[in-house]
Amino acid sequence: MSDLKIEGYEFKPGFKGMAKDTSSDQTMFKGVHWGKAMMWIFLLSDTFIFSCFLISYMKGRGSTIIDWPNPSEVFGLHVFGVQVPLLLIAIMTFVLITSSGTMALAVKYGYEKNRKMCGWLILATAIGGLTFVGMQAFEWSKLIHEGVRPWENPFGAPQFGSFFFMITGFHGTHVSIGVIFLFIYAYKTFAGHYDEGKRGWFTTMKGDYVEVEILGLYWHFVDLVWVFIFAFFYLW
Amino acid sequence: MSEDFNNNKTIQAQSSEAISGGGSGVGVDADYVRPAEVADQDLYHGHSFITKWIFCQDAKVIGVQYFLLATFTGIIGLILSWLMRLQLGFPGLAPFMTAEHYYQFVTMHGMIMVVYFLTALFLGGFGNYLIPLMVGARDMVFPYLNMVSFWSFFVAVGVLLASFFVPGGPTGSGWTLYPPQAILEGTPGSGWGIMLMCISLILFVAGFTMGGLNYLITILQARTRGMTLMRMPLTVWGIFTATVLAMLAFPALLVGALMMSLDNVLGTSFFMPTILKAGEVLEYGGGSPILFQHLFWFFGHPEVYIVALPAFGIVSDLISVHARKNIFGYRMMVWAIVGIGALSFFVWAHHMYVSGMNPWFGFFFATTTLIIAVPTAMKVYNWILTLWRGNIRLNTVMLWCLGFIVTFVNGGITGIFLGNVSVDVPLSDTYFVIAHFHMVMGIAPLMVIMGAVYHWFPLVSGRFLSEKLGKWHFWLTFLGAYSIYFPMHYLGFIGVPRRYFEMYDSPYVTSAVGMNEFISIAAFIVGAAQFILIYNIIKTLKTGKPAGHNPWQACSLEWLTPTVPPEHGNWGDRLPTVHRWAYDYSVPGAKEDFITQTTPPSEVAGSKVEKT
Amino acid sequence: MEKTKKQEQASTHKIGIYLWIWGLLFVLSFFSYMVDWYQFQGMLRWSLILFFMFLKAGLIMAFFMHLYWERYALVNVLLWPMTAIACFIFLMVAEFEYVLFTRLFYFVVGG
Repeated sequence: MSDLKIEGYEFKPGFKGMAKDTSSDQTMFKGVHWGKAMMWIFLLSDTFIFSCFLISYMKGRGSTIIDWPNPSEVFGLHVFGVQVPLLLIAIMTFVLITSSGTMALAVKYGYEKNRKMCGWLILATAIGGLTFVGMQAFEWSKLIHEGVRPWENPFGAPQFGSFFFMITGFHGTHVSIGVIFLFIYAYKTFAGHYDEGKRGWFTTMKGDYVEVEILGLYWHFVDLVWVFIFAFFYLW
Repeated sequence: MSEDFNNNKTIQAQSSEAISGGGSGVGVDADYVRPAEVADQDLYHGHSFITKWIFCQDAKVIGVQYFLLATFTGIIGLILSWLMRLQLGFPGLAPFMTAEHYYQFVTMHGMIMVVYFLTALFLGGFGNYLIPLMVGARDMVFPYLNMVSFWSFFVAVGVLLASFFVPGGPTGSGWTLYPPQAILEGTPGSGWGIMLMCISLILFVAGFTMGGLNYLITILQARTRGMTLMRMPLTVWGIFTATVLAMLAFPALLVGALMMSLDNVLGTSFFMPTILKAGEVLEYGGGSPILFQHLFWFFGHPEVYIVALPAFGIVSDLISVHARKNIFGYRMMVWAIVGIGALSFFVWAHHMYVSGMNPWFGFFFATTTLIIAVPTAMKVYNWILTLWRGNIRLNTVMLWCLGFIVTFVNGGITGIFLGNVSVDVPLSDTYFVIAHFHMVMGIAPLMVIMGAVYHWFPLVSGRFLSEKLGKWHFWLTFLGAYSIYFPMHYLGFIGVPRRYFEMYDSPYVTSAVGMNEFISIAAFIVGAAQFILIYNIIKTLKTGKPAGHNPWQACSLEWLTPTVPPEHGNWGDRLPTVHRWAYDYSVPGAKEDFITQTTPPSEVAGSKVEKT
Repeated sequence: MEKTKKQEQASTHKIGIYLWIWGLLFVLSFFSYMVDWYQFQGMLRWSLILFFMFLKAGLIMAFFMHLYWERYALVNVLLWPMTAIACFIFLMVAEFEYVLFTRLFYFVVGG
């Protein structure tokens, strides 16, 4: 996306540009890498998955006649003898947004072909993600210790446990997969695969810093989903 | 990024020779097509038998693999339907047909036919084979992912079929898998069977997502020079829109399957209400069975169009080629496909009128459902107007297309009955519904598949299928299918309920028994007639008439490859350049009755081609 | 052309904008945390939660995921399918209210 110039094609802005791009030959998303377009469409599909989870959760919570537990209390922490609501969740949100910021900067430095900076920032993102997964594990074990199970919980409606473990579990899986890929990409960046255009492992495409952006899209999406989970599961 | 992509020497040389001014007259200037934006795709060429034919990254081979595996599962589905008809027509004749087995066969027949046969065949089979050829790409954009997609499908089919051999057998909850009964004891396969079904579906969705991303990005981002979206054959439009639907609808199925697995294994109560069983309260409680139905049909209704839209697209192309006429109202056809696709996300609960959902929903869903009839009817009119005064070749392919139109109109009109709440309520769960959806999404798409097989077999194998056998195949199937499903409408009207293992002493016994026997016999014959095609294919591969290059005199790109059948990479040294849409048949003033998509305007200067 | 220029700037010398958005996200998260801290209830809580949520989501999508700089063709392809989700949400709200009503009617009042 650094220099959008296509021989014989004049760009138009806004909706006119949209009509022109759509009706032109070869590509609809001008200058968008195949992998990036694929990631966007995949994320759209993934959005529908998370939407279905959250809609199910909404329906389950909305129609229960047993009281829903108060998340503010359930997810609170005792720190120095003071009950702080949602403390752990706030820290997790902080960590995830931090990692999202480092990822955004990694993408930026990637496009500037700043190999070292890009690599370190990806690594920082990976460590942020790992911290998040670790805290989630802590949160899970704390709740399990308190007797919350997927099929029951001591605080109220049994669906609370079911939806909590399922949704955060599915999100956590996404984060974990992201962390694995972040470490791989950090290695690939430091090794210079994107500078020299080394072909990937399962593809004949040449390495390029656009791959960092593609991974970045995924990572920001994970953060995006957390924004929604944070709002609907913890704050509602 | 761009410096990697813009160094394709052949294309730059070509563009500089043609880039003199933007004249409007017919001449070399009019032939100018913008240079390529993206460099030619590097392909991985397999060398061993395994990389060439098994773990192959060539979309055409993957397409054939999908086709064969889907057909194999389809035959299993066919055999299951025979067994069901055996029971319904002649109860007690086969002692192994217990009620449990009957329900298991119903379930597996439905799921196999809808998901593992039709979806896989249209999108996996035809999609993989035709998309790169029709848009002028060398291959799918992510060949490795494409290969993984097929093998995920393979594993999914394996898991599905494995459920026949686990304790309790496959699930018998009907293809809609409604909880709570799907996972309660007493339903066949409530333990292992439903579990394997859910796992298999999740694998299918994962595999399909990989394939679907490939189809979409290939169509959107990897078309050849000159190929605009509005020059694509309708086949590609149909498959494209169906893939979009699949990418957005399968998530709901995935979520539903996952939550049901958790209900089954962990004992959560997402879908399970409080249940009294033999005076005992089960451990479930507080869940909502309706939620599953909403999730299922949020997937399920788009799924109908995932099957139907590729059929719409393919049949448009077949009719156009074999009537030697451009498709009537091409743009209208495209917008109708897109419109049907978009609307299909807003109609799902018309499958649930009697489910006990919010009663007000009937208004909303009946309205949206009936609106869908508009673009659908437009398509039917356009097919008929394409045939109107065409130079029709009444070969096997055309027969299948005509058969499709008849069965589709029939099934579509009964759909209007069922879309209205007040008509649907008495007809719900009767054989009328069976007749409706088999006509509209069973027989009609199947007719298109058969037509497409007869049409594209010369491309895939280089030989014509036998016309004589083909006509036998068609007439037996068409008349037989009508003999099966037409009487079912009547059975539905008199109230015979579906999913009943036997009628016992109900009043339907006297009035429906002869009809059921007739339907069963017809079903046996129609099923057997399908083996004519298999015989035809085997025979043709050995002794069929060689087809040569572009045997149907079609315009679209897939017939214009340098070699027939096309090789890996499709286009030899140079990608084709497209100058027109795929439907320039019988153009006044042209030398031949077709102008291929690659013919530049300067070569057809004297003819009245449409500007596309 | 204007669009292209914008894009060039975006990926070369705009560390400032990323830091700004980053900071804003922290601030907004802090605010939504405060919604819980002060125990706002009812419609106020809902509107605040949703407001901060959509603002955060919008910022992430627009700037971190570069959607603000992408061409409309991509943006529209990504956003329009959300109408299906919106319809699903809208109808499921009606549905859970109805289910709650029937449950209360039959299990609590009727029982």
